[in-house]
Amino acid sequence: MAIEQLIAGVAGGAAPPAATGRPAAGQGFEQSLGRLVTSVEGTNADANQAVSRMLDGSGDVHDAMIALQRADLTLQFTVQVRNKLVQAYQDIMRMPV
Amino acid sequence: MNEIGDAALVALLRRQMTHAVARQVVAAGNLANIDTPNFRAREVDFDVTLNHAVAGTLVTTHPDHLTAAADAPAGPLTRETAGAPVRRDGNSVQIDRELLAMTDAAGDFARAQTVLAAKFRLVRYALSESR
Amino acid sequence: MSTLNAAIDASASALAAERARIEVAVSNLANAESTRAPDGRPYRRRDVVLSATPVETFDAVLGRAGAIGVAVAGIVEDRAPARQRYEPSHPDADAEGFVSVPNVDPAEEMVDMVSAARAYQANLTAISLVRDLLQRALELGRG
Repeated sequence: MAIEQLIAGVAGGAAPPAATGRPAAGQGFEQSLGRLVTSVEGTNADANQAVSRMLDGSGDVHDAMIALQRADLTLQFTVQVRNKLVQAYQDIMRMPV
Repeated sequence: MNEIGDAALVALLRRQMTHAVARQVVAAGNLANIDTPNFRAREVDFDVTLNHAVAGTLVTTHPDHLTAAADAPAGPLTRETAGAPVRRDGNSVQIDRELLAMTDAAGDFARAQTVLAAKFRLVRYALSESR
Repeated sequence: MSTLNAAIDASASALAAERARIEVAVSNLANAESTRAPDGRPYRRRDVVLSATPVETFDAVLGRAGAIGVAVAGIVEDRAPARQRYEPSHPDADAEGFVSVPNVDPAEEMVDMVSAARAYQANLTAISLVRDLLQRALELGRG
């Protein structure tokens, strides 16, 4: 499933640690989530800016619409990745050490 | 969402839409002034606009440019349409030419918008399928 | 809401301007034979003076391409001298039998009227085209 590949990419160096134990897994996931949240904040801010530019007449409507879509999709993606990460984390925690 | 490929595509489609909007606005202005004495038909200055898009920032080497706010996106500039026949009142606007330009611009915008909307739908679908 | 709305303003200004041209042409035609207007003199043909007017937008302030509309700068009287027509039987004929008639050429007024009507129609079309574009742009924000 594509989303698992994306998670692997997002998580960067944090491989699911069967042997190394909990701390490494926690750090990697935290960083990934942090990065994703930053991108959500970024696209949200862009959308706000684009919409206010549209309203005061200095920006185009389609620019605002695109910004809104990107913000929405980035948020949805982030929420999904977060859910998957949490699920994976919980699965790992349940593994017999 | 594959950021690299998608970002370039979105940027291209966005530029196409912005260009179409600029052409529409300029054509509407020409039509409004079809009976204004000595008014010459204008068109979007494609070369300057292209330079803006490539540079990604407001190019300040052109004498017509004003200093703009750092975050203001570069807008299209216009020039007088070359070779347009001038009537006795000094006006060079032709109704049919401008209406055609507006219809073309509308078509280009619709095309880009359709593709972009489909792209967004696709991503949304992928997200919903992977839940 | 962006230059598209400014474009609609520009087209709307043209509607007003062309309507003024039609009204003036109609007035000229109606008074083509008025040898005695309210001020006692023969009717003087009128003309609408148009001037290009940029629509006030943020873009315009920045110096970028905005929408250029049109404004009626004024309605002026044609300064050409009244025409003289030999018609001794006319109540307003002078001592030599000449009447000062308005300098209105009906054919010219008709041409002006038709061209103004055509321009009016074209700007109406422009407004609907711009509105369509706006709607299309908004669709991008949906679902």
